[in-house]
Amino acid sequence: MLKTRIIPCLDVIKNKVVKGVNFKNIRVMGNAVEMAKYYSLSGADELCMLDINASYQNRKTFIKTVESIAKVINIPLTVGGGVSDLSDITDLLNAGADKVSINSAAVKNPKLIRQASLRHGSQCIVVAIDGKRYKNKMKVVIKGGREITKNELITWAKQVQYLGAGEILMTSMDTDGVQNGFDSNMLKKVTSSVGIPVIASGGVGSLEHFYLGYLTKSTGLLAASVFHSRKYKIKTVKKYLSSKGVPVRL
Amino acid sequence: MKKKVIGLIDGQSGNIGSINKAIKDIIKGRPYQLKIIKSHFNYTSFDKIILPGQGAYATLMSNLKKLKIIQPLKKYLQNNSSYLGICVGMQILSDWGYEDKTTRGLGIISGDIKKFRNKKLIIPHMGWNTINLNKDDTIIANSFDKKDFYFVHSYIFQNIKKSDVLAFTLYGKKFPSIVKKGNIYGVQFHPEKSHKHGLNLIKNYILKS
Repeated sequence: MLKTRIIPCLDVIKNKVVKGVNFKNIRVMGNAVEMAKYYSLSGADELCMLDINASYQNRKTFIKTVESIAKVINIPLTVGGGVSDLSDITDLLNAGADKVSINSAAVKNPKLIRQASLRHGSQCIVVAIDGKRYKNKMKVVIKGGREITKNELITWAKQVQYLGAGEILMTSMDTDGVQNGFDSNMLKKVTSSVGIPVIASGGVGSLEHFYLGYLTKSTGLLAASVFHSRKYKIKTVKKYLSSKGVPVRL
Repeated sequence: MKKKVIGLIDGQSGNIGSINKAIKDIIKGRPYQLKIIKSHFNYTSFDKIILPGQGAYATLMSNLKKLKIIQPLKKYLQNNSSYLGICVGMQILSDWGYEDKTTRGLGIISGDIKKFRNKKLIIPHMGWNTINLNKDDTIIANSFDKKDFYFVHSYIFQNIKKSDVLAFTLYGKKFPSIVKKGNIYGVQFHPEKSHKHGLNLIKNYILKS
């Protein structure tokens, strides 16, 4: 039986894992390579890392960090943040990423999804979607939620599948960072509209939140703070989920 | 003592970095050498060949054709020499692939590669799933039975002889997750991404037999 994936997410600047995406209160949580190694050894099913400050100066160090991480882990690695064109995708795959996640660039240029999946295969193209409620509608947002696009969330989710995305990384900007749980309502709407895997992201604060995330039919559950702060070990989450009857890799 | 030669085929179908690293770690300090195969090769000079693959069947076959790898690889396999195909590297052992367009495979293990048919399934089949061994094997021993490995694929081996299926996995229905004929092995999952059990499998393949 297919297991629900538990995926720690590293928000990275250069080679440091940081917390706080609003560039004001950035706190360094640790060295990215060491944390990646730790998560791989302690039972993470996959690892996600995002370049949250993909400036020209920082990019080189970030790519080197991807290379170093790919060398020390033997679980799948998804890399995103600052991916704007096909050559960015190729660079990350060459650096050792197994999957590359595209966000704003896909919204601005949906054809990129098709071109990328034709060139590298759907299995390594993840489209990250940030969703937010606006005037009673679920919309796609970019720039960390600061810009609301004209795209309606569900229409966009179906479109990215049609264009060849192999997976959707779904973050609700209404619940992200608050630790009150995943956005079950939004996630269920997405998982029931597409036939590709959906990773739930944004809002985990307790063990029960992971279980509620599983109930949305998301096949991957992503979390950052609860792991980085050592509130929960990955094993603790998995044992809890297993006790609730969720298939996990123990 | 003469070193055993392991060939790793770079079919330009995904990154070979992880598997390359895994093999190097295993053979360190042991009487083996690793050669990357990128073009026509002398099939008699390899003891083992590993072919990892991602993406589409047709793409891998056409890459191998362009690189002039098909002919020596076919001869190598027809000699029943030791081989480990990973993901698409396993799928091309079949007669035909039906991904994107109909493509002739290497024809070593009879069967076809077709898409999962169940419309209710989430495709690709992506994540960790269990393998169930049909029989014990010198390389893929009982200790691998019921262990989880990382899968990512939308196509599966169909119309295959039961005797060529070493392990199966459940996703909607049973599908072959390890195929074996003589010294030729194919795994649908990615051992290089499957943490310790995956690395053990690669290790067994290299060191045993």
